[in-house]
Amino acid sequence: MLLEVNNLKKIYTTRFGGNQVQALTNVTFDVEEGEYVAIMGESGSGKTTLLNILAALDKPTGGDVLLEGKSIVHLGEKEISAFRRKNLGFVFQDFNLLDTFSVKDNILLPLVLAGEEYTTMRGKLHPVAQQLGISDILEKFPYEISGGQKQRTAVARALITNPRLILADEPTGALDSKAASQLLKLFRQINEAGQTVLMVTHSTMAASHAKRVLFIKDGRVYHQIYRGQMENEEMYHMISDTLTLLATGGDHYE
Amino acid sequence: MNKGNRGMYRKLAMQNIKNHHRTYVPYILTCICTTAMFYIMNFLNASKGVGKLPHGADVQMILVMGTWVIAIFSVIFLFYTNGFLMKKRKKEIGLYNILGMEKKHIARVLFWEICVVAAVSLVLGIFLGIVGSKLMFMILLKLIHMPVPLGFEVSVDVIGNTVLLFCIIYLMSYLNNLRQIHLAKPVDLLSGEHVGEREPKSNWLLALMGLLCLGGGYYIAISTESVLTALTYFFPAVILVMIGTYCLFTAISIVVLKLLRKNKKFYYKTRHFVSVSGLIYRMKQNAVGLANICILSTGVLLMISTTVSLYVGRESVLEGRYPREIQMQVEEQELSDLETISETLLQEYELKAEDELRFHFTNEIMLREEDGFVSQPEGGYTSEMTDKVVGVAYIPLDEYNLYSGREVTLKENQVLLFVNTKKEYNKDEIRIKDKTLQVKEELEEIFIDVKSYLPTTTTYYLVVDSLDTARKMVEGAKYGSPVCSFFMYNLEGDESRFIDFTDELMERMRDKYQDEVYWMVEGRSANRDTFQRIDGGFLFLGVFLGCLFLMGTTLIIYYKQVSEGYEDHYRFQIMRKVGMSKKEVKSSIRSQILMVFFLPLVMAMIHIAMAFPLISRLMALMYLTNVPLFAVCTVATAGVFAMVYGVIFLFTARTYDKIVNV
Ligand SMILES: Nc1ncnc2c1ncn2[C@@H]1O[C@H](COP(=O)(O)OP(=O)(O)OP(=O)(O)O)[C@@H](O)[C@H]1O
Ligand SMILES: [Mg+2]
Repeated sequence: MLLEVNNLKKIYTTRFGGNQVQALTNVTFDVEEGEYVAIMGESGSGKTTLLNILAALDKPTGGDVLLEGKSIVHLGEKEISAFRRKNLGFVFQDFNLLDTFSVKDNILLPLVLAGEEYTTMRGKLHPVAQQLGISDILEKFPYEISGGQKQRTAVARALITNPRLILADEPTGALDSKAASQLLKLFRQINEAGQTVLMVTHSTMAASHAKRVLFIKDGRVYHQIYRGQMENEEMYHMISDTLTLLATGGDHYE
Repeated sequence: MNKGNRGMYRKLAMQNIKNHHRTYVPYILTCICTTAMFYIMNFLNASKGVGKLPHGADVQMILVMGTWVIAIFSVIFLFYTNGFLMKKRKKEIGLYNILGMEKKHIARVLFWEICVVAAVSLVLGIFLGIVGSKLMFMILLKLIHMPVPLGFEVSVDVIGNTVLLFCIIYLMSYLNNLRQIHLAKPVDLLSGEHVGEREPKSNWLLALMGLLCLGGGYYIAISTESVLTALTYFFPAVILVMIGTYCLFTAISIVVLKLLRKNKKFYYKTRHFVSVSGLIYRMKQNAVGLANICILSTGVLLMISTTVSLYVGRESVLEGRYPREIQMQVEEQELSDLETISETLLQEYELKAEDELRFHFTNEIMLREEDGFVSQPEGGYTSEMTDKVVGVAYIPLDEYNLYSGREVTLKENQVLLFVNTKKEYNKDEIRIKDKTLQVKEELEEIFIDVKSYLPTTTTYYLVVDSLDTARKMVEGAKYGSPVCSFFMYNLEGDESRFIDFTDELMERMRDKYQDEVYWMVEGRSANRDTFQRIDGGFLFLGVFLGCLFLMGTTLIIYYKQVSEGYEDHYRFQIMRKVGMSKKEVKSSIRSQILMVFFLPLVMAMIHIAMAFPLISRLMALMYLTNVPLFAVCTVATAGVFAMVYGVIFLFTARTYDKIVNV
């Protein structure tokens, strides 16, 4: 088992006057090596919160997260960053590229932080850039390229460290439909090549590319769908049916 | 527009100021302080209380300069700050526009905002000015050694000036805001803050020019030997260094950083990677601001170190200018006349003369050419002569022998030579006009430092065989003096009578010589007060303006920190997600910020160090020849300034930390 999430709980206490928000009530699920999991849920259902905890950017109020059987919840600050660098790759809705770096330097950033030699870095850069079709824009700066290109740069940055797990929060959120479907195809390719992907999304279209979809409601895993032998289209319908059910507050079924 | 709506704009304006308190409070505080400082300075230079003091008019002359400097500084600085605030708010204003507020209405909101700022800062500023003016008055009087009178003055005229000046500034700011709004489309407004995020280009031309300017300025400052040259080249050097500073921060820094980035081995290291790329952007956004900080800091350091040195060293200045308590001088008359007048008066005042010096002296202003000295041509001094102008002074041998205790003999065409700058002459012959004289010996010192009479130029003192020879040497020269008899001495006895003694001595000389011949009496004590006034006035001005500039520096640093903070907050998040630890991010950002904010300070220190030789030469014009004293004052000023700068940095860094949320 690559990732185990056990009874995760997160309560936010607002700064003024102890107002409490329960973002995660009790989340439990597993992710196996090579899986492609999408997480869906209404706005405010706690998806980003969950992802942040998985990334060790935030601490849970209760429960545990195990990566390859090792808990990441109790790591110290130093270990956490090393852990993140080695094991995780991130893709965000708003790309999160640094405008002070060229595309190339943005991609190399995690490697530089890990203290690698420039020659090794360069060796890793070209295959990834090729795969993502951004070899021509490596010397450009983020403000000079399109949204789709930015997102592919971000994916390249996530991939270059060869992470155990890729975490994506609404990766298609800021893209038009063409760029979005390109990106989803890409995710599928890298998943087929053996990369584990965990993606949070609002888009039924995006989720229909995944091998498994988890639905979160009221801070719990409410339901999940396995692709099995389904085609994308079939998957798409099933997801949208589930979402309708979720929204109307229908009963929980498995 | 109905009444309710008008109220709405006012409320909106107040709300905006509240929302932007992080940037507006410091702005308003600065407005208040500049208002108060302008009031105080203008009050002091216009106050009848100061004018009535003995020498008060001299002090006020100095303070008038201060008033102008403050006025000009206020205009530039407040206008610039307002522009900065406006730029930060373009996005918000674009939003108002998109949400359906007409530009006309936005203009009205902005108008109310400026009104609030103006009202608050004028009322509080003038109040603070009135209170502060009394305090500053007392400090000024202390510095110029005057008794503090009772009472409290408020000047309506000065209030009027202050209101007028600052209303004009606010009006200009407002018009500038309007211009910005009218020029911009809502879409542009929305992206206002992100315009200029482009990667800066290396500008080799500008970088090269900067290096040349800096080098040129430094070269002038270091290589200038004579005081006259220093005076001529002071402003060109200042301008060169200023241009160089701007180029340094805008172009040279980028060129250097980009070269560092080209070096892959260096650049792709954890520590350098983030800093170098971050610095390129910071330098681009902050270059002008940092150059301003550097120049303001240099100004503060120069002003304070020179005025403090003059004040601290005023006794040695006085001694340089007046080697003895009393100096008497008369043209072409018997020296014994001076002695007779002195002796009778000394007895009347029950004082004793000591360290007496009696001698004759004549000199001529000449040009030093390749092959000798020639008379300065008629028509006087022109700037091409700067490097050549020297004084040539003649002293008779018997007087030299008397005071040096030696028994040198000279033939008619032989001289002893003393040069009052360190440069030795190193030749056996000296050609003056059409005469060639043999230099029998080059002297290490001369019995009287006649420098006080010719402080600005290199002077060649020639000891000649007799007074007649001396007289012949300057005969017919247009820029030569006749032979003067000097009598100088220190006084021993009741010090409180020194000034009266000097005045009376002057009366006696007037009785004897009338206006028929040129004569002069100078007393050190009699002039001490004047020096005290002027040096005290300068010190006051220096420190006062120093504080003003320091406040400007503080505000620029603060705003830089705040605006950097908002951007770094975002960067910080990303870096953490990519796997940098909190500590790493924090230390990396810290070191960048430190580099950025301490670079101007370091540059200012370098400027000061380079300017030191030039300034110390200029100080000789003010008779401050005590270079070690000036050095100590400069170092002390720089030390204190660096501490204050550090404190300001730490203080503003707290706000920064809060914003970045490290
Ligand atoms: N830092 C925080 N402090 C307090 N409450 C928070 C914080 N972050 C999130 N919340 C609350 O926790 C809940 C879950 O937020 P979260 O951002 O995880 O939702 P989400 O599922 O990602 O929503 P969306 O789809 O809109 O992005 C929300 O009610 C939110 O208001
Ligand atoms: Mg979210």
